[in-house]
Parts: sequence; structure tokens; C-alpha cells
Amino acid sequence: MNEQQERAELLAALHAAGAASEEDDRELEALLADDPSLAEVVKDFHDSIAALASSFDPLETSSRTLGKIQKKIEKEKGGVLNRLRGWLGKS
Amino acid sequence: MMTQTRPTDPEELVAAMASGDSGLALSAFYTNYASTVLALLTKMLGSPAEAEELLQDVFVELWRRASQFDCKRGSVIAWVVTVARSRALDALRSRKRRYGDRQFEYSEGDALVTERKRPDVMASSTRWHQALRQAFKRLDAEQRAVLDLSYFRGMSHGQIADKLNLPVGTVKSRILAGMRELRAVLPIIHRAMKA
Repeated sequence: MNEQQERAELLAALHAAGAASEEDDRELEALLADDPSLAEVVKDFHDSIAALASSFDPLETSSRTLGKIQKKIEKEKGGVLNRLRGWLGKS
Repeated sequence: MMTQTRPTDPEELVAAMASGDSGLALSAFYTNYASTVLALLTKMLGSPAEAEELLQDVFVELWRRASQFDCKRGSVIAWVVTVARSRALDALRSRKRRYGDRQFEYSEGDALVTERKRPDVMASSTRWHQALRQAFKRLDAEQRAVLDLSYFRGMSHGQIADKLNLPVGTVKSRILAGMRELRAVLPIIHRAMKA
């Protein structure tokens, strides 16, 4: 692995681990534009850290939570439709 | 008569949500990921009640952003975890603004090991979780510490260096070494997913 590849791997690791600075992320973006194969490394790191984050013992959720989520979404959908109706009414 | 079939493939579920399905697809998606997301949120926030509340916002956001999911950038679970983590970090920052640093004392390895028995831990701690935890034993304590602070506490490498009184270069090296270890266990993870 050459120096630039090592640098790219480090930036990808920092990015996936959530430890990158804005400058690191800008440098990574530029390297990704030059070398699309780096995207695979970034993807692997993302998948790996996500697996770590999903390794905790699963917890049972309240039986009412899904219903509350669906209500919030329906309200949001209704809001969008009402805005659209209002907009169509004006035009 | 038309019958609605329920997609089961994670990417199909996300695609169905992206087209506006907040019924069957969202319900199946929630069934697949809610208990994992709740565990992560509880781990990060340390408060089951706050985590349960935030769980709602996470799933509303996942539904809202379903059209932005791109399988080339990572798996569905990676996307789910990324959104959940981001919301949990927002909640931690907001808590920090209100209460300061007092309750953010770090104890090494806090977040990465869950041995505590809770009544709401699901009996079905699956082979998937067992395989993952086995695989993650490859990380040493130093790697765990830096990944804990970066990923679960949202600290940059500079902040971690200050916190652990280490040179920034050492922090970066430990993060890279830890991420390489994690990447090395990906095949094991994929096998566990298929099992």
C-alpha cells in the first residue's frame, strides 16, 4: 500500500468512526473523486461500525410506539397534501 | 381483487417507504429494526425513557429520508444506525447545552460491552448478536476506547486526544487499527446474517 492509499484509508476510517474533522472529510471527498475504488473501503468501514452499533442486546419496544410513529407520518402527509391543495387553490 | 404483499427484503422495504408506504412496509421495517435501534439509543443516551421517545423521531426520519437511501454507500442497517446515531448525538448535545459537562464523565469501555441484565432485554438475543460480540472481542481496550468516544459520543480525533491525554497521531492510529479489525470481521458478520 502506498502513502496516498494509506492516507485515504485513514481518512475513510476517521469518517466512518465519526472522528473526522471537516477538513478530513473534504480531503476524503477529493480522494473519492479521484479514486472511485475508495468508495468500497468507505462502505466496508460504514458497514463494520454499523454492525458494532447494532450488536447490543435488542430491547423490547412499547407496543404503542409504532402507532405513534404512523400517526406522526400521517399528520406530516396531511400537511403536505394541505399545502399542495392550498397552492393549487391559489393558482 | 388486489392483494397487498408485504416485502421482506430490507432494500425493498426502504423502496416501498420511499414511495409513501407508511403501512405494511413501515410496519415490517419497524419490526426488523426497532429493538436494535432502541438498544443503541438507550446505550448512547443512558435513559430508556428518552430513548423510547427518540425512537419515534428516528423512524419518522427514516421514513421521510427513505428516498435518499443509496445501497452503494452502505447496507440498510448501516443507514438505520447512522440516522439513529445522528439523532442520539443531537439529543446529547442538546442535553449538554442544558446541563453542561457534569454527566458526561467517561469510563473506559462503558458503551461497548453490555453485560447488564435488563428486564426489557429480549429473550431472542440472536445468533447474530452473539456472533457480532464474539467478533468484536478482536478489538483491544485502547481501540474500543477511541471508537467509543468517536462513534458513540461524537468526539473528533482532537477532542479524544484532549480527553485521553494522547497525541492526535496516536488517536488516529488507534481508530484506524480498530476499524481495520472491524473490517476484518465483516465476513463473519455476513455469515451470521445469513444464518
